[in-house]
Amino acid sequence: MTIGTFILKNAMRNKRRATLSILSVAVSLFLLVTLLVALRELTLPPEDIGAALRVVVRSKISIANLLPAKQRPIIERVPGVEAVSPFTWFGGTYKNEGGLTFGQFAMDASKFRTIFGDSKMPEEQFEAFQKDMRACIIGKLTAEKYHLKIGDRITLVGTIYPVTLEFNLAGIYSGTIDDRNMFFHHKYFDEAMGDMGQVGMWWLKVRSAEDMPQVITTINNTFANSSAEVRAETERAFQLSFTSMWGNIKLFVGAICTVVVFTLILVSASTMSMSIRERFRELAVLKALGFRRRELFAFILAESFALAMFGALIGVGGAYLLYTFGSVSKMTNGIFITLEVTPKIIGTAITVAAGLGIAASIMPSISVAKTSVVEGLKTLD
Amino acid sequence: MAENIVTIRNLSKIYRQGEINVTALDNISLDIRAGEFLTLMGPSGSGKSTLLHIIAGIDRPTSGECHVQGIDVAKLNESQLADWRNQNVGFVFQTFNLIPVLTAYENVELPLLLTRLNSKQRRHQVNTALELVGLAERKTHLPRQLSGGQEQRVAIARALVTSPSLVVADEPTGNLDSQSAQDVLGILQTLSKSAGKTVIMVTHDPKAAAFGSRTIHLEKGELSN
Repeated sequence: MTIGTFILKNAMRNKRRATLSILSVAVSLFLLVTLLVALRELTLPPEDIGAALRVVVRSKISIANLLPAKQRPIIERVPGVEAVSPFTWFGGTYKNEGGLTFGQFAMDASKFRTIFGDSKMPEEQFEAFQKDMRACIIGKLTAEKYHLKIGDRITLVGTIYPVTLEFNLAGIYSGTIDDRNMFFHHKYFDEAMGDMGQVGMWWLKVRSAEDMPQVITTINNTFANSSAEVRAETERAFQLSFTSMWGNIKLFVGAICTVVVFTLILVSASTMSMSIRERFRELAVLKALGFRRRELFAFILAESFALAMFGALIGVGGAYLLYTFGSVSKMTNGIFITLEVTPKIIGTAITVAAGLGIAASIMPSISVAKTSVVEGLKTLD
Repeated sequence: MAENIVTIRNLSKIYRQGEINVTALDNISLDIRAGEFLTLMGPSGSGKSTLLHIIAGIDRPTSGECHVQGIDVAKLNESQLADWRNQNVGFVFQTFNLIPVLTAYENVELPLLLTRLNSKQRRHQVNTALELVGLAERKTHLPRQLSGGQEQRVAIARALVTSPSLVVADEPTGNLDSQSAQDVLGILQTLSKSAGKTVIMVTHDPKAAAFGSRTIHLEKGELSN
């Protein structure tokens, strides 16, 4: 027998309790990892390769304010700009579903491939999209979700704009970081709206990353002090400002994480204390046999640590496998595209588990250290 | 004549229970010779277990001296005392106190985990100890698979495995039937007579005390003879 075997046998002496302890740690750490990855996705949205060359131009006042369509030729003339497209959020409901389940954007179809070069779609589908003003293309995830196929009719009822738009599904794209969105011709939207001469935003592609700062500065300066001042920013900056609209979700999720961890420590400490209290007499016997306080502390710590780490292995490992190899989009009903369990998140969860193992062993160790052999032996009779 | 293994001088132990001081041992002086099988008798609360605990180094006196093999155990710190117990004292308890999740073999091996012996040396000593108590065949059994008498014999093997010079037994037959008690007392007697171990046993039972080479009576914390 080794010390390790001894610790393991002690840890597993009450199999049901050990299993429940491990599972409570596992479930809590799974929840913690889930909250952390969700928070990460919310505050640090995924970015595709093309994002480095994309600039978003929106109203300086707010994202809800529209921009005049006449800005386009001015933006197109800015040195370094390769392509410009209007980009208007339609916000329609599909099949009478209560909430918006996928984004719908009106844009210049001819610029789609230039601006969103990451997308993959058969050539004939793209051509069909460009030729038909009522055509739309849709991301693979949404197409799968609604079992849509090429040629299907899609009807969107506007919630922001008082129009109902009907589309022919011309193409299904994939390969972008978010294969959920729908794109259609801005001309069709303009016609339906009576050519209001306004767009939601401008999305543009710059020629190179070196051009990016100059393009942003020029656009911002060009429309400064005009009736429609703009804020030009990188796609990344735009996404981050967009997610800031969630409010202080970081604090909210952080509070939940703290509660989870704190509860976990209380439960584990209680379980560990119970387990040690039942063994007071045995620990007194071990002391009588010559085991020192520090060795008993090491036993208790190792046992607590082993249970916590085993729980972490199941909880964190399970979360990693689920979010890495599972279909996150299906699991979250399209709310999240990816949930990346980063090494930092794994490290955080493992640190929490390790801290938990240590914290849970402190109180039992103190009581064991305080109790003399004679007092410990008296608990037997 | 054998030399003294235990020398006790003016030993007192006073417990504080709330506002009251309870004298468990009152100015005791005693010599125990090496190889002796000493039995301590007396009514409940007479201080016999307290005396045994102090000699074995699991309790400390309030005043006086207790030298075991020339060492004043009261002056050792906790860590030194733990090492000293491991090397010099074997414990046998009334309720056996085996670890329920360990086999008989593993229970006996437990004190050896604190030594520098390798697994082969440990195996040899554990097997020798189990053979000495007649339980070599039962070494893979868990305590719950053994009878009370067998459990106590495993406990004796555990007390002997480190080859201590002193074996202390606190009412070792208190939970046993008469036949098992006879077996256990026989083993303790053999340890004293044949192996030269010093055995100190607390008992209420005069028949058990008869196995010893000398009996000391305690009453109200004092030696009564």
